[in-house]
Amino acid sequence: MMPARSALLSALAVAWAMSVCLGSVSPAEAQKKGGTLTIVRPTDPVSLDPQLETTAPGAWVYFNMLEPLLTMDEKMQIRPALAASYEILSPTKVRFKLRPNVKFHDGTPLNAAAVKFTFDRALRGTPPARWASLAGSLSGAEVVDDLTVDVMTREPYGPILRTLAMYCTGIVSPTAVQKMGPDFSRAPVGTGPFKFVEWKTNTHVILERNPDYWGDKAPLDRVIFKVVPEEGARMIALQTGDADMVLLPAPAQLAALKRDSKYVVHEVVGGRVVFAGMHAGLAPLDDVRVRTALIHAVDRKAILENILEGSAVPARGVLAPSVFGFKDMQLDKLYPFDRARAKALLAQAGWTPGPDGVLQKGGQKLSLSWLAARGRYPKDGEITEAIQAMFKEVGVEAKVQFLEWATVFTQFRAATLNQHMFTLGWVTSNADADYSLYALFHSKQVPPTGWNTSRYANPRVDALVEQARRSLNQTEREKLYAEVQDILAKEMVWIPVYNTKEIVVTRASVKGFTVHPVEYNLWLRKVWLDK
Amino acid sequence: MLTFIARRLLLAIPVLLGVVFVVMLTIELIPGDAVSLMLGEHATPEAVAKLRDYLGLDKPLLVRYVGYVGRVARGDLGRSIQQNRPVVDELADAWPATLELTAAALVISAALGIAAGVISAVWPNSAFDALARLGSLFGLSMPVFWTGLVLIVVFALWLPWMPVGGMGSPAHLVLPAVTLALPSLAMVARMTRSSVLDVLREDYVRTARAKGVAERLVVAKHALRNAAIPILTLLGLQAGQLMGGAVLTETVFAWPGLGRLMVKAIFARDYVLLQGAVLIFALAFVVINLAVDLAYGALDPRIARQG
Repeated sequence: MMPARSALLSALAVAWAMSVCLGSVSPAEAQKKGGTLTIVRPTDPVSLDPQLETTAPGAWVYFNMLEPLLTMDEKMQIRPALAASYEILSPTKVRFKLRPNVKFHDGTPLNAAAVKFTFDRALRGTPPARWASLAGSLSGAEVVDDLTVDVMTREPYGPILRTLAMYCTGIVSPTAVQKMGPDFSRAPVGTGPFKFVEWKTNTHVILERNPDYWGDKAPLDRVIFKVVPEEGARMIALQTGDADMVLLPAPAQLAALKRDSKYVVHEVVGGRVVFAGMHAGLAPLDDVRVRTALIHAVDRKAILENILEGSAVPARGVLAPSVFGFKDMQLDKLYPFDRARAKALLAQAGWTPGPDGVLQKGGQKLSLSWLAARGRYPKDGEITEAIQAMFKEVGVEAKVQFLEWATVFTQFRAATLNQHMFTLGWVTSNADADYSLYALFHSKQVPPTGWNTSRYANPRVDALVEQARRSLNQTEREKLYAEVQDILAKEMVWIPVYNTKEIVVTRASVKGFTVHPVEYNLWLRKVWLDK
Repeated sequence: MLTFIARRLLLAIPVLLGVVFVVMLTIELIPGDAVSLMLGEHATPEAVAKLRDYLGLDKPLLVRYVGYVGRVARGDLGRSIQQNRPVVDELADAWPATLELTAAALVISAALGIAAGVISAVWPNSAFDALARLGSLFGLSMPVFWTGLVLIVVFALWLPWMPVGGMGSPAHLVLPAVTLALPSLAMVARMTRSSVLDVLREDYVRTARAKGVAERLVVAKHALRNAAIPILTLLGLQAGQLMGGAVLTETVFAWPGLGRLMVKAIFARDYVLLQGAVLIFALAFVVINLAVDLAYGALDPRIARQG
């Protein structure tokens, strides 16, 4: 018989051993179900229907209610979503096999007819969907059988799979659309892990868990998206506990938040490049030596450190790294900050210092006009002013005109641009190089048709982007885009400044959240609260 | 009396017609197009043209104006360009919030302003008076978004008494109403002080005191009633200003009111929504002016007789 003391010791030993074993369970097992996640962000959605809304405020919400055929994970890899598998039948047709037994939130089944309905509504509706412009050559869908649907394009379209993985191509319930009419945009019905509860305009949108979801059910009971326009008020809400997650947090507070164990700062390099663009069709910027000199004159590192304070990363080219076809243009190697070199290049191009320090040639001053908005992209105004000052150091005078975004936008979309320089940001919506390189640098894509605001024209680049757009061989496309970026690197028409970072701040009790490089993809299905 | 009211309300109609025209003209003149802004940076020109045609935005200004006025006469304020949602619904979501905030701010500024002004007038150059004058200078000078954020930090973060923002319980109304009321309160206090001081120097006040009327009654009944006219004028103007200026307070406190809705509509060039909101404001101004005029009549029988 054991003495009482050693029995006690044994019992304690067993208890200790058990706690060690149980304490080291994997996070998935310790996941707690239930709770409400409160998210604060600056603006209310315009609509919760991709038919009417493709910007972030609406997308953040409907991303969790509507699911596309495919999806892109945080590593930018294409994964099946509502489509279990796909097969490329021809250069203009892809066949998708849908997941069986999937239901919309209203109980109706997901089938090929619903996919066809969604695409017809978007592409051929009156008016067509907001996202139709992002869909490239997508032309529609055909029902093969209940769970098989063929998606067609007007011509061979390389980015087709990435297009169908876009956040805004979520499949909607035809029954709900037909029953609700215009009210559908205020209360959408999809297949997602969350379903709609309530939307109080300019106040909040509430979602709740979909208990009949086809995949892993979401741990959260509810999600509340609140509108808090003032950045300072959003950060205070996080600190008082009124909010668990802040979208678009204050960059100035990030350093302090990272040191505080009560909060977690989630960040990843995003998809937007902000740049100072040059009108390559307007003298003196039609001279590549002048353009190159201007890039050498800009100290991008100083801008990143002092103006953006860690809230962004230096741009490594005209595309963001998360985009398919991205090539690092080695800008720091090709165009290091070097005032002497800038001045030398300008001298080579025939510009000599005038009496007031501004360069001149043949009686003409090297004076550039610049159109920019303030507050459209983070620190766009400050960056413009900084570059203006840097230009001055090499004898180039820049006259900046700051106007309201809507006005600036109208001028950028006009057929003629009268300014030499412009400040702009560009996000590759479907994360495919075609989307950007075609619209930005093809000679026929000058506004208002496309976005070649620089009026860049190079027949080789034209041929390359056209060929890459029509090819379905992704390896071939990557090679073609690499060549395009090599050519662009030699004839720069942009001064790329920074690449946005997608930053979300949460309280430490929020677990299971990963921020996605595409800002619209707000994944809440794996989030749980440790409270 | 009733004919007076009826005539004033009828006169409001040309005012409203003019307001609508000016708003439409202004939106037309400023650069920027609702449809391109709505469809965003990546829209094709064909998509823009199609949508513009669908929304009838191609038609000339006068055609759209006449069509709009005709619909308003039938009670149809149209659909917002951005959301394709009835403007009436959008406004119905927002204007009670603005009404609540503006009314609360007006009550605070009137009650506290008049009280402070009267005390300052009755004891001029006292410590209270000096403090009140300093306080009103502060209230007039500090920008709303600064005072708002400071109040949030003090009363929501350091002292967890108030919610950070949004609308809901009466507690949510306190900080935004106080923030919005401060500049107005300052002006009302100063105006009350000078107005009451003037009246207290009048002969009839001296007579009342000589008669032996208690000082409290002298101030409340004789002085204040006569000093009320300029204060009332100011309050009428302030009511309008509070409504229009609420947008900054609404932004800081995430208050879902008309001010923010209007700014959103302006940036998106959504003239249909904007006109609906402006109509509500214009109507409110008309009603407020009418109320002030009627109050004049009630306060001063001489004005009522002139009619």
